[in-house]
Amino acid sequence: MHLAKKSKFAIIIGLLPALLLYTIFAIVPILQSFYYSLMEWNGFSEMKFVGLSNFKMLFQDPLFWKSAKNNLFVVIASVLGQIPIALVIALLLNRKLKGAKFFRTIGFLPVVLSTVVISLTWSLIYNTKNGLINELLRTVGLESLTQNWLGDTSWSMIAVCITVIWQFVGLYLIIFLAALQNIPEEVLEAAKIDGASEWVTTWKITIPMIWDTIIVAVILCISGSLRTFDLIYVMTHGGPAHSTEVMALYMFNETFNKLQYGYGSAVSVVIFFFSLLLIFIVTKSMGKKMI
Amino acid sequence: MEIILKPDPKPSRQSNKTIRKKWVKKSTIYAALSIFAIINVYPILWMVINSFKSEKEFTVNQFGFPKDFVIDNYISAWNTANLGILFKNSIFICIVATLITVFIGALASYFLSRFTFKMNKGIYSFFIFGMLIPIHSTLVPMFILLRDLGLLNSPITLLFPYIAFHLPLTIFILTSFMKQFPKDIEESAVMDGAGIFRIFWSIILPMSRPAVATVVILNFIYNWNEFSFALVLINDPALQTLPLGLASFAGQFTVNYGAQMAGLTMSLLPILIFYLLLEKEIVKGMTAGAVKG
Repeated sequence: MHLAKKSKFAIIIGLLPALLLYTIFAIVPILQSFYYSLMEWNGFSEMKFVGLSNFKMLFQDPLFWKSAKNNLFVVIASVLGQIPIALVIALLLNRKLKGAKFFRTIGFLPVVLSTVVISLTWSLIYNTKNGLINELLRTVGLESLTQNWLGDTSWSMIAVCITVIWQFVGLYLIIFLAALQNIPEEVLEAAKIDGASEWVTTWKITIPMIWDTIIVAVILCISGSLRTFDLIYVMTHGGPAHSTEVMALYMFNETFNKLQYGYGSAVSVVIFFFSLLLIFIVTKSMGKKMI
Repeated sequence: MEIILKPDPKPSRQSNKTIRKKWVKKSTIYAALSIFAIINVYPILWMVINSFKSEKEFTVNQFGFPKDFVIDNYISAWNTANLGILFKNSIFICIVATLITVFIGALASYFLSRFTFKMNKGIYSFFIFGMLIPIHSTLVPMFILLRDLGLLNSPITLLFPYIAFHLPLTIFILTSFMKQFPKDIEESAVMDGAGIFRIFWSIILPMSRPAVATVVILNFIYNWNEFSFALVLINDPALQTLPLGLASFAGQFTVNYGAQMAGLTMSLLPILIFYLLLEKEIVKGMTAGAVKG
């Protein structure tokens, strides 16, 4: 009783700090970007209302479409790279095995490292002159295969995607391992008694039983790789010749290099809805398949 | 009976075969796992080992251990990249942002999980929506907002976005943890005459220790590694955080590989030690954070 009387005031006091900071610095910026996206503005002089013309300009810019396509490429490479590798390693690790913990520790390691450190390390690895990969190729006598990995438009995107895949396999590995360990022992035991081989058990029992987790992982993978920015910014800056430019990088360049705050805000709005839409579509379509 | 007693060569041959098969299988599994482990760890190891080589040795002996350990790279990296300042800035931002986020997040979670009021569900969903916001879509408006508030390029600039964007996950994890406590906990405390905030501070918060540990670790790692906001909001070299400073350092000294590797190794070390010490908590926290985010 004593609690109920005082509680209304206390609830307000307790929620206010979090609510204020979150609203002002996370929600207001989104709303503001909607507003700015309708303006022509260099960030300093008077704003000019231009309606939807920023969006019109955006959709007519081939560079924007190129960055959207590159973004999609990163997403697809991540899903096709990270999920299968993580799943296979998780299946191999999910048994009584000496050293399983060691492999788990190593597997997750890249996930905790900062993207900047990873990008710089891999830039050194890809380096034409002294990089690990070219040096390795030279050592085994395959000098003809050495490339300017990050500087050649036909390799840059692949090189970047390999790093993206490398960075996050461990996250999905741990997620899959946790799901695999939740499968009741008796189910697999029963399959074994019925004479099912491990191969069959994996395909017919194990994978269907963790299907929900696989879907969650795919969604995570899509929304995560859509947000790739730091890694590409540090590794290639979107180059060479815009071959690795993704939407967030396009937005960054258009806004801060060309001082087009209105236009940049329009790109922000598009990224915002594009992300939400893609996650929505995947959740819906994969959800349907499940039934 | 007789049949069973008779020595039958077939089963034993078969079991020999199955033993061999098992051995082949086990070796294949270990081989595959080892390849995975090498790919995962060698890039980092390669960098750390080569950071101790002189420029000359690096060009001729890239794969071996350094013949004589050279620490010149470390000295020049520390001096040219101002690593001391970068470390100081990163540690300050990380600790302050984490403490504030977890404290006000825990306070909000306490009311969202232990009290019934009209707006409860709505406010909770409002917070959770934050996990869907792609951070990059807020870079431009965040820059404008902080500029208009006169908060660009100050020692506390990064606190605002870091706190705001990590509150949703913090509140999500803490609320779902606090919801599990039985109702009578507060009731007996109220009988003893404890006030609402007293109950939070001396009962609910200590009881939530495992979840608080998880969110502290998560916040710390995310803040320590954050780059985009720092890139957009901080120009002053004296205020740069570690990731931002490293990125610009590498851009300036593209030819000095040794110093670059030394700088990277030094910035890698704290998080590596942190990871090896708290592996279980970190892995648990980051996977939970990812799945729920």
